[in-house]
Amino acid sequence: MKISPEVCVSCLECIDFCPMNCIIEGDETVYIDQDECVECGVCLNTGVCQVDAIYRPEEVFVYPRAIRMQMSDPGAEHPDFKAWGRGTEEAKTNDVTGKFDHAEYGMLFEFGRPVTGTRLSEVQKVTTAVCNLGLEILKENPVFGLLEDKQAGLIKKEFLPEKVLSIILEIRFSADRLTEVVNEVLPLLDDVDTVVSVGLVTRFDSKGTLPVIKDLQDLNVHVRPNAKINVGLGRPLVK
Amino acid sequence: MSHSLHRYGSVENLKNDFCIYSRAARGINRENCGDKLRQILEIYLSSDVVNFGSSHSGKCYLAGLDVEEYAESLSNSYGIIATFADREAVLDVLKKMKKENLGISVVVSGLIEEVKSIAEEAGLQPHTALLSLGTFGRKKLLPEEEVLEIVTMCGHSLVGSRLVRSVLKKVQGGEMSAREGALELTRPCSCGIFNTERCQELIKKRPEQ
Repeated sequence: MKISPEVCVSCLECIDFCPMNCIIEGDETVYIDQDECVECGVCLNTGVCQVDAIYRPEEVFVYPRAIRMQMSDPGAEHPDFKAWGRGTEEAKTNDVTGKFDHAEYGMLFEFGRPVTGTRLSEVQKVTTAVCNLGLEILKENPVFGLLEDKQAGLIKKEFLPEKVLSIILEIRFSADRLTEVVNEVLPLLDDVDTVVSVGLVTRFDSKGTLPVIKDLQDLNVHVRPNAKINVGLGRPLVK
Repeated sequence: MSHSLHRYGSVENLKNDFCIYSRAARGINRENCGDKLRQILEIYLSSDVVNFGSSHSGKCYLAGLDVEEYAESLSNSYGIIATFADREAVLDVLKKMKKENLGISVVVSGLIEEVKSIAEEAGLQPHTALLSLGTFGRKKLLPEEEVLEIVTMCGHSLVGSRLVRSVLKKVQGGEMSAREGALELTRPCSCGIFNTERCQELIKKRPEQ
């Protein structure tokens, strides 16, 4: 995003709206720190600028910078999946897709959220480790499309310095690998230069319970009291 | 996207915070799902909805989304999200969804035990859960709790810490009411999952600084 210095009246109203805090008050007008801007478009989409000084320049649509908008502006369609948002369905349609079976778990690593944003180089620290452990990075996920070496988990070099508001790495593994994933992967997150919110996908058992919660507690992983629950209304239903 | 999963807060202040996702799946039931999504929108509107929208809608209901235009746009969409602040409203939606038997996947976010209880009451058997294991990494970068509770109500991190602090300051200074503050904060969140009812309560319960 950019601000036209000829149009800006320096009212400063836009500054608070930037989730990356990268709208800077200059000597005469405000400007946007291009290295920190993730192209989320909040400054433009909220209509906070009363004189229309904020605009989306052409270079926003050119790779590698284009990846910023694709991951950060939920209104931008993802090119690989023709989907808005960040392009993953996780468990939302699992009752009809069967993407995650009873004997499997999914794990979602949401880099940069809440509020910090992330460089893609930080994501690579985890994709390489995940691949070293032989864990499956899901193809129906935006991170997969960024990999140039899918065996090694290496992200295309030109994308590594790019910054996005958040990005979700999604893996799937058999239930008997839970301890390994918790002990080998979660500690890696201590070494990334951002925050990572982690989610785990699991099926309800026949009694309508979630046994994995106790398994996680036994592994000293705290499960938060709130969750997203697919209530099984999709048809045809995958049992 | 984990979206409404990582809403930060206490069991007490998350109790009346629900999002309902209706989502058609690619290759299964997405083709020509527009009419079903419009039916779902009608159900939401008839059930005490707080806010709604979609990633593609540009703005949420409370930020001025035109309902008729939005309903038309659902012909080219595959999902619709809404926020509720009352378990009875969620129960009402699920009962209506079950009765209509639309075949579209439905996900409810909220306290696990509360959502399970509502689903049971509606005669539904929960299928899959996405659990939150919390936040890892450089947690020193996170804002203070009262800000975190509000920013995590936007599933794409579009509501920033600075805007929250600015609004809290304005409410405290009498420049705007808690309701006006909550509406200001929902402006960046086009999906409509920013729960303005919960936000108002959080603002009101904030200790005097």
